[in-house]
Amino acid sequence: MRTGVSSVAAACEVLREDQVLKGESARAWMAGSGRDRMPGASPATDGSPVAVDFPVSAELTESADSPEAVLFPESTEEVQAVMRSAIKSGVRLLPAGSGGWLGAAGWGREADAIVSTALMDSVVHYEPADLTLTAGAGLEMAALAELAGRSGQWLPMDGPGCAEGTLGAAVACGVPGPLQGRYGGVRDNVLGLEVVTGDGRILRAGGRVVKNVAGYDMVRLFTGSRGSLGVITRVSVRLFPRPGADVTLCFRGGVDEVVAMARGVCTAEFPVAAVEVAGDEEAAGDGGMVLAVRLLGGAEEVAEARARTVAGVGREPDEELAGGDSAALHEARWEEGSPVVARLAALPDRLGDVMACAGRVAGVVGGEVAADAMRGLVRVKGSCAPGRTEAVAECVAGARAEMADRGGSLVLSSAPREVVEGVGWGGWGGGGAGLTARIKSLFDPHGVLASECP
Amino acid sequence: MIPSALTANLTAICGPDGVIVDPDRLLVYESDALTAYRHRPGAVILPRTTGELRRTVREISRAGLPIVPRGAGTGLSGGAVALGGAVVVGTARMNRILEIDAPNRRAVLQPGVINAELSAAAAAHGLYYAPDPSSQTACTIGGNVAENSGGPHCLKYGVTSRYVTGLTIVLADGTVAELGGLGREAPGYDLVGLFVGSEGCFGIAAEIEVALLPVPEGVRTLLGIFDRIEDAGTAVSDIVGAGLLPAAMEIIDGPTIRAVEDSVFAAGYPTDAEAALVIEFDGLEAGLDTEAGRAAELCRRAGAREVRSARDEAERMALWKGRKKAFGAMGRIAPDLLVQDATVPRTTLPAILKGISEIARRYDLTVANVFHAGDGNLHPNILFDRRNTDELERVERASKEIMQICVDSGGTITGEHGVGLDKKHHMPLIHGPAELDAMWGLRRVFDPAGVMNPGKVLPDGTEPAGGAVGRGQGRDEAAGAGVSASGGRGEVAAAGDSAPGGRTGVGDSPRGGRTGAALSA
Repeated sequence: MRTGVSSVAAACEVLREDQVLKGESARAWMAGSGRDRMPGASPATDGSPVAVDFPVSAELTESADSPEAVLFPESTEEVQAVMRSAIKSGVRLLPAGSGGWLGAAGWGREADAIVSTALMDSVVHYEPADLTLTAGAGLEMAALAELAGRSGQWLPMDGPGCAEGTLGAAVACGVPGPLQGRYGGVRDNVLGLEVVTGDGRILRAGGRVVKNVAGYDMVRLFTGSRGSLGVITRVSVRLFPRPGADVTLCFRGGVDEVVAMARGVCTAEFPVAAVEVAGDEEAAGDGGMVLAVRLLGGAEEVAEARARTVAGVGREPDEELAGGDSAALHEARWEEGSPVVARLAALPDRLGDVMACAGRVAGVVGGEVAADAMRGLVRVKGSCAPGRTEAVAECVAGARAEMADRGGSLVLSSAPREVVEGVGWGGWGGGGAGLTARIKSLFDPHGVLASECP
Repeated sequence: MIPSALTANLTAICGPDGVIVDPDRLLVYESDALTAYRHRPGAVILPRTTGELRRTVREISRAGLPIVPRGAGTGLSGGAVALGGAVVVGTARMNRILEIDAPNRRAVLQPGVINAELSAAAAAHGLYYAPDPSSQTACTIGGNVAENSGGPHCLKYGVTSRYVTGLTIVLADGTVAELGGLGREAPGYDLVGLFVGSEGCFGIAAEIEVALLPVPEGVRTLLGIFDRIEDAGTAVSDIVGAGLLPAAMEIIDGPTIRAVEDSVFAAGYPTDAEAALVIEFDGLEAGLDTEAGRAAELCRRAGAREVRSARDEAERMALWKGRKKAFGAMGRIAPDLLVQDATVPRTTLPAILKGISEIARRYDLTVANVFHAGDGNLHPNILFDRRNTDELERVERASKEIMQICVDSGGTITGEHGVGLDKKHHMPLIHGPAELDAMWGLRRVFDPAGVMNPGKVLPDGTEPAGGAVGRGQGRDEAAGAGVSASGGRGEVAAAGDSAPGGRTGVGDSPRGGRTGAALSA
């Protein structure tokens, strides 16, 4: 149920005019790349629409469903004021960071306004010797990486969007990347957070120490809750010393060969940092795949792990990347924000089956496949032309049934409305759903926060 | 005592061996490892299967009695103490490892499996379970889940919640819910993460899926001996600052060293030292000597008078002995021991240690420190004799002051032992009313009627007025009232179950139209 424009205006009134984008400017911001689109970048102090000079997706600008405004609060208290105003006027909000995924992912279609924390980007506390950092949710991950890098440290969150989004968005989405096995997932490295919940309260969960069991673990609850319980305004994370050596070994081959090599590396007795399988750009079109094994650690340790990986696979790598090139390969692999993104999961030893199933989905959405072999997670990203929604929905439904038969799941994290209406976002139909709905009601009793995505 | 009809019903479910009502036998269950709190339970029930557990919980809950879950009773916060004649539901007979799935590096087990036994069983596959609380030869994985237990090696490997990938839980009304699971994504929130560390207030874990790791092929253990504890703290900071990531860094202070060396656990630490620092690296053999060498050098530069290095497993165990047996040794020099568990930012350690010794001096108490230095997780042990009432009072005041200086430094009141009964009154030191309200609300989401482990974790008198709704009422009405803590406005968003064909029994509770009915009260 959408409200009228006047209600949205009421929610906007708690901020200065230059903290709000409206109408065309708002839709343009949502559809853009997420960078250089803040009001500050193109000041509109008179409240007039901000000039737009980047391509805007036709679906968004023409849709009457698009949010009416994008709000840029600068403090936790301003977020709270926006939330309270929204509760009073019945406006539905969608929390966001830099908005990089919004245009493509199809989220927020039910929202009247977006609340972006992009301007809340200050570093509150960073003590390198403690390996902890606290910052506003809007801090860009790239800025965090640069800052931590100066002290030889890093935040090994390599999930989709982590490289170019904001810290708050990375935590709110909570999607782990391939380094999860080595460093833990997003949820394992968030020590504390501050959130303005859907009932307009400010909660501070956790802290900035690495071990904390004082009360129920609300940090984990809010991590990955995708803005459906509140707007995350501040985050404390655990950093790690950046390993001296970062090497990625790439082995090319057909899908069966590459999957077999990947399983061999995953079950070897020595630890590797990440094992990924993806389409081979060098052999595009002929079904070629590449296995990328990432090794992190001290120089001697990595040299030894390299020798053992090569011995296990039975041949020298086709390509070897080191340092920044190694890191960049993995960041690029997990970019998200495509019109269709599906995640298929099963136990890691079923990787071959899951790859086959993912391949069929990729065929229909004209997309690519990338797998985190250590976790048995395969991602398909692609697109869906307007006339193809039925075919895509049918394909997703079939693949989902196949995954369910294998004890796994298929979740859409981005898809056109018609597809989602047909088959839902999906996921394993486990027993937590009743609890999830009650938790949603606890923190968002008025249904202010729009969050369609699982 | 519990009503005889209930005893009969529970005996029919669990068999005569699974029901303990004899007052003498109940004595064993009147406290956990924190013996300051003693309350005899109304009965102890020991189911063997998920089905028995489910029926047991439902019977007790229907009889209107509170339930206290219990593993091995090694907890250090009074969390397993049965207040007000509550019925203890113990997991001691639910002790089977159901599956070790080596290709996927996971195991599925019942909650009563002993922590060390899981690693022993996984060793046949070259795997182990990483979290290693000091009580690992006695404590259960179910208890570890309830407390989100840590251990010396969580500096590198993280705590219990990182390794729990799926749970089958029994809720207060006997319904069963399956949460998470490796290799599948469920919609909604991280309920596994939320359940871990809920200290028995949300339900009882009936089956636990955990991730296993390959056993590290090499280990290097060092022992640095220091004349000043601040120097040991400096060494820890320098090692972290140098980009090294040891598996563990543990400090044992002078009073503890002397207690250990005076006991049967003597480990050969010099008794005139003021600190011993145990450092351990693990991983591939290649590079371990380099890392250990750098750490040893940093210790010497920080002022270590001596750095010992273990050459084999026997020597390694000897270096660890002083740390592992510290608690046992202290038990020999004073009848009572109060163990604290605050965590502070690592850089504040030297100042905090100084503050603790100053407080000890002021109250004329002996405080012995053993701690996970790498994590900033302190365990100041106050030694005393409870029969000395004056001393007991000084212990309580000193204890509170120690906790306060830790909180003031940006730390927290408990890093791994849990809140339980012991620290619930300290919760307002770190949580405001909004946070406590939210925690009450979450508790009521899982347990609307307040059956599970009442009187623990959250301070008395902080429950929001709306939160009491449903207590003592019919189970059906209470089941939907989990939203009450948010203010009881009665505007409950549709709590429809979006899961397609849910496999579980959560659906035993009424949903949809009746949700929130109890709120209008």
